[in-house]
Amino acid sequence: MTAPTNLDRRGSTPAAPSDAAPGGRTGTGSAWLLVTRREIMVKATDRSFLIGTVVTLAIIAGIMVLQVVLAGRTSTYDVAVTPSATTIAQQVRAGAAAIDEDVVVDPLAVPDDAAARAAVLDGSADAWLHRDGDRWVLTTKDGPNDSLKAVVQEVVRSEALRANASAAGTTLEALERGATLGTAFLEGDAQRAELVDALAFAFTFLFYMAALMFGVTLANSVVEEKQSRVVEIIATAIPVRHLLAGKVLGNTVLAVAQMTLFVAVGLVGLAFTDYSSLVTSVSGPVVWFVVFFLAGFVSLACLWAVAGSLASRTEDLQSTTTPLTFLVMAVLFGGLLLEGQWQVIGSFVPPLSAVVMPIRLLQGDASWPEALLALAILLAAAAATVRVGERLYRRSLLQGGGRVTVRQAWRVEE
Amino acid sequence: MLETIDLTRRFGDVTAVDAVSITVPDGLLTGFVGGNGAGKTTTMRMITGVLGIHAGRVLWQGRDITAADRRRFGYMPEERGLYPKQPVLDQLVYLARLAGMDGRAARASALELLERFGLADRAKDRVEKLSLGNQQRVQVTAALMTSPVALVLDEPFSGLDPAAVESMADLLRERARGGVPVLFSSHQLDLVDRLCDRLVIMARGRVVAQGTADDLRGGSPQRFRLVLDGDAGWVRGVGGLHVVDVDGTSALLEVLDPDVVQPLLREALSRGGIREFAAVVPALSELYREVAA
Repeated sequence: MTAPTNLDRRGSTPAAPSDAAPGGRTGTGSAWLLVTRREIMVKATDRSFLIGTVVTLAIIAGIMVLQVVLAGRTSTYDVAVTPSATTIAQQVRAGAAAIDEDVVVDPLAVPDDAAARAAVLDGSADAWLHRDGDRWVLTTKDGPNDSLKAVVQEVVRSEALRANASAAGTTLEALERGATLGTAFLEGDAQRAELVDALAFAFTFLFYMAALMFGVTLANSVVEEKQSRVVEIIATAIPVRHLLAGKVLGNTVLAVAQMTLFVAVGLVGLAFTDYSSLVTSVSGPVVWFVVFFLAGFVSLACLWAVAGSLASRTEDLQSTTTPLTFLVMAVLFGGLLLEGQWQVIGSFVPPLSAVVMPIRLLQGDASWPEALLALAILLAAAAATVRVGERLYRRSLLQGGGRVTVRQAWRVEE
Repeated sequence: MLETIDLTRRFGDVTAVDAVSITVPDGLLTGFVGGNGAGKTTTMRMITGVLGIHAGRVLWQGRDITAADRRRFGYMPEERGLYPKQPVLDQLVYLARLAGMDGRAARASALELLERFGLADRAKDRVEKLSLGNQQRVQVTAALMTSPVALVLDEPFSGLDPAAVESMADLLRERARGGVPVLFSSHQLDLVDRLCDRLVIMARGRVVAQGTADDLRGGSPQRFRLVLDGDAGWVRGVGGLHVVDVDGTSALLEVLDPDVVQPLLREALSRGGIREFAAVVPALSELYREVAA
């Protein structure tokens, strides 16, 4: 990252703190820090930013709570039975948990069919299980309940098979031999695969959100300074590169802090869900995600600042930021859609690698050396964008009137 | 002393500022006048280092200016600009700290100036809540609060009410008396005439005149108005004079030879009496029209 210690390109000497002028003046050495602090203060006290952060946290926490509630919830069904059906009702009650762990069946003894019908109608029973000729019927008030139906059907079916097998001189077990299908995984398990998919989506989406949200804010604050000419006052006082560095740094600090908060809440929440056993195994990739996020964000942030400086009024931003909006969307779709060979390639191509490599790490497809290589490429790209961005920013920032094209900004005489 | 030597800036094919050499001496108010597009703002932006210089030099105390020198300048850009959503005092302290001032001193200095402009009670308001005139006072405060060694102010008086113009004028005179060179641009020629020790007039990217107001007037012959009791037509016959205009008893004269004045007055007395004989000082606006034409 950029803690600029270099000379101002205007051909001046940097004012070291030692050559402080009288009157308690200090050098420009720490000017970027002042800018960083202002960026953070302004944003951190901005109501819409705070509300956005709290809402996102609430959504993350809400998803976790929903997981816990859904996982822990069992449905209890009261099933009315006449004395003739008591046996099957007891078998359903005993077999329910094995078939669907979320379903509990309580038989409700009623004297006759009329009483059973009445119980279903007045809601004291959820269903009525009774014999009709050579089949069983589950009567409910209106539409059948799928979970209850599945449980009852399974029990009724196996009891009937058992009876028929016995009558044929064999056993249920003998009949079913060789007819079961199990599932197995060579790597991980079904639960982990589900979690990996969810996290990959979350990573990609969080990166997209942060890159877009902070990017637009950054571009806006640059054009605000340019439009109001505050930048001219600042440019007399400090080198423009300090201004850029401070703005990028301030927004990066906030973005990473916000992201870390989201991820931490997400991981803590995860510990309360069924996925708790997997928290440690995904924590490593999550840390990688934050590191890649940092590098990816810095390079994009510089470009957003350039997009801001190319505009001369807020109204121009729409057009100067369009290429970046597309780039960020490319990262979003890359993270969501890339698979196989394309995913491997994408995991090394900046800025796509900022999300694709952490996803591969999460999926267990990529090794540490690969991650380090991708990170090195991403950092090199970030350094290059910082340099190019600084030049464009410096040159276009002080051009008055109308929007500036990248080509003009690159070529213009300073 | 602040000087520019052959300062030049092009925008594409247009040379906005063409070999401009001006002098802004210590302790004097130098007024910078010229029509729209004359190149005043571009020149000021090059002096403050906000815009690159294509040719020529800016000198501070006789040597090439550095960024460290410029940091100690007070600069007020043309369009009023501050962060609209940031409170006045916070913003002033931030800008002063960027210019190298320490936080506490910046606060004290900002409050003192805001007090002077009658804005002390608005220190915590956001800038956007202030009227345009008050925003401008805040902007001036930003330029003055760091005790700058030179002041470069682009249109500091535009948009101010008469009372504010006076307090601003006092402030600038005060800074100039402290030995600071002050360069400010303005469209209000009467104000510049009243306020300035020196003038620089620009037109179409070039300096067309500069010096004290008297210097500039010195270029044209001294004019007098003579009002007589009788008809003034006879002055046309007097040598050593250029008669600009005669209207009944009144004549406007340019004296080419100072020795003719006493004989002229004796003649006038003998012809019946003099009601008025006064030097006519051309207004700055007239001078401006002449040089900028």
